[in-house]
Amino acid sequence: MILRQLALRQGRRVFIPSASRPWIRFLNTEIERTNITVDNANEANLDYIGSQTDIPIAPIEETGESLVSSSYTMWLNQKKQTAHLGSTLDPHYKPHTLINRPPSPKDVTLELLMASQAHLGHATSLWKPQNQRYIFGIHQGIHIISLDITAAHLRRAAKIVEAVCERGGLVLFVGTREGQDRCVVNAAKLAGGCHLFERWIPGSITNGQQILGRCKMKVVDDLGNEIEGYEEQLIDRATLKPDLVVCMNPLENYVLLHECGLNAIPTIGIIDTDADPTWVTYPIPANDDSLRCVNLIAGVLGRAGEEGQKKRQAAALKAGFTGPSPNRKAGDAS
Amino acid sequence: MRAAWLPTKFGLGSQLLPLWVPFSQQTSRHPYSSLLRAIRYSRRGTIIESRQFVTSLTRRGIAAPEICFEPKDSQKGIPGHARVVPASPSYFTGKPEFTDNLLFLQDLLRKYQTLPVVQPGQAPRVAWKTLAQYRLVVGEPVKASKYHKIVLLLQRLNHIHPSLLPEDVKSAIAPYKRDVNPHENVPNQRTVDRFGRVIGVGRRKSSTARVWLVEGDGEVLINGKPLVGVFPRVHDRESAIWALKATGRIDKYNVWALVEGGGTTGQAEALTLGVARALLVHEPSLKPALRRAGCVTRDPRRVERKKPGKLKARKMPAWVKR
Repeated sequence: MILRQLALRQGRRVFIPSASRPWIRFLNTEIERTNITVDNANEANLDYIGSQTDIPIAPIEETGESLVSSSYTMWLNQKKQTAHLGSTLDPHYKPHTLINRPPSPKDVTLELLMASQAHLGHATSLWKPQNQRYIFGIHQGIHIISLDITAAHLRRAAKIVEAVCERGGLVLFVGTREGQDRCVVNAAKLAGGCHLFERWIPGSITNGQQILGRCKMKVVDDLGNEIEGYEEQLIDRATLKPDLVVCMNPLENYVLLHECGLNAIPTIGIIDTDADPTWVTYPIPANDDSLRCVNLIAGVLGRAGEEGQKKRQAAALKAGFTGPSPNRKAGDAS
Repeated sequence: MRAAWLPTKFGLGSQLLPLWVPFSQQTSRHPYSSLLRAIRYSRRGTIIESRQFVTSLTRRGIAAPEICFEPKDSQKGIPGHARVVPASPSYFTGKPEFTDNLLFLQDLLRKYQTLPVVQPGQAPRVAWKTLAQYRLVVGEPVKASKYHKIVLLLQRLNHIHPSLLPEDVKSAIAPYKRDVNPHENVPNQRTVDRFGRVIGVGRRKSSTARVWLVEGDGEVLINGKPLVGVFPRVHDRESAIWALKATGRIDKYNVWALVEGGGTTGQAEALTLGVARALLVHEPSLKPALRRAGCVTRDPRRVERKKPGKLKARKMPAWVKR
């Protein structure tokens, strides 16, 4: 008698769908024989899955196309069956969560900032002395940014973004380095603003008509619903300028920040130890070379903008604004 | 006279001014005359508008005013806080439609990244819109390298296994396809017609030959004339029926051909190709033999154009001392 297992391992228990499972198998003296070959492997798999689940599986035809789709369905099924198996991992870094579910300003902690490598500056020889007040010390030849100042400045910036969004301002999120596109696009989506992840075209603010003249605009009401009927007025209207610019990499965007300065547009920027903090209105001293840190900051500011939009909508609803009636056109005073 | 008072928005201490100023007293000796001159009065003495006393020199709309949702009496029914916003979040890229397209396709690919794909090269052949066609659609100056990103995404989406291709991917891909797919444009198969004829068309240099080949006993008529009457050179005569000669079929077929354009060599070798193509319909198994005889491939060479600074296409002018 061959007894391979006297007790069930924990992982195996979950495979048992019902009591009808043959317990005798574990007390069996003979080895189970299967006649699975390369030709009937797929059918055998399907049989096995069919015996394991209640979900009926469509019989496969012998054509190649349906074979692919049925194998895929089978794989999905297997994944579903075995998803809860295995060990439980401790909380760990999942890069996509910073994009998909970014933390809100109140979740920002020094631990989170440190885990995101926000404290790492540049080699001491590369520093800009204006950043002295943001620097905590020197470690292994690089400047360490003081995270309490980072957190404070990040919260301040979040408040600014929130307030601008609450008052219906246009926030532009800029991150032109490689890999910053997703966080920038997502932050703009949350805050109801604009995004820029490729080169800033010089003159988009100071010479807007030439560069953004063909880009379309629309008229919206307090709830953000588009109002029809203003198309003719929009044709010869001046191009839009952002009310607030959030820049993830000020080093590469000097022209943008300069144009904002010329037009009295406030700017928020991540200032590393080698960047000039006077280029932006509201600096956030942090590491701009770490994508994780940039994702975090963009996510927090995007959440702040989302909060501002919510407040704006709530205020409009509270005041009894339900949107213009659908059949009224612009210019009707009745 | 109606009373007029300065609203506080003029910001210059309106409480210092008299509450109302009779229209008749508007003289230059009035203590506030310099101030009042800036105000335009209508005929009836009411203030219309003045912009001179705006204290803020900064651009309007930077610091947006507090929201007041109570509509004014005159504005009942008009959307009170209509704002002008960009139609697309990609407004500041200068190419909003292109950027939106790119982001949409990227999102779609991220959504369906785990679907099985076909082997490289096994996907259905699709002709994507050319750069010029795409530019016409979006109306934006898109660079070739940027459009290439879209094409790469489309190719990846096209490689999703056809049996699992989701509907939204199908509809997303469709606008990028060219209206006419050149890969579906396959030439019709030539067949023997009811009179036993096969037409073959051959071209060489600027000549075109249409050849009707029927089973027969070796008669050749080109433009209604026998071979000797058309081609005085023996080499050209041999070329014209080289396909038949190389396969030993001279006495098995009759040739009736129309040939036009070009010179004698071009016409003769156009006939070679035409005869070979017609012969291949009668006897497809002759293809290797015909290829060895050099009758299957179209010779693409044309007259090379003349260039400036040269006498012909490549001939340099003779060297002259001074």
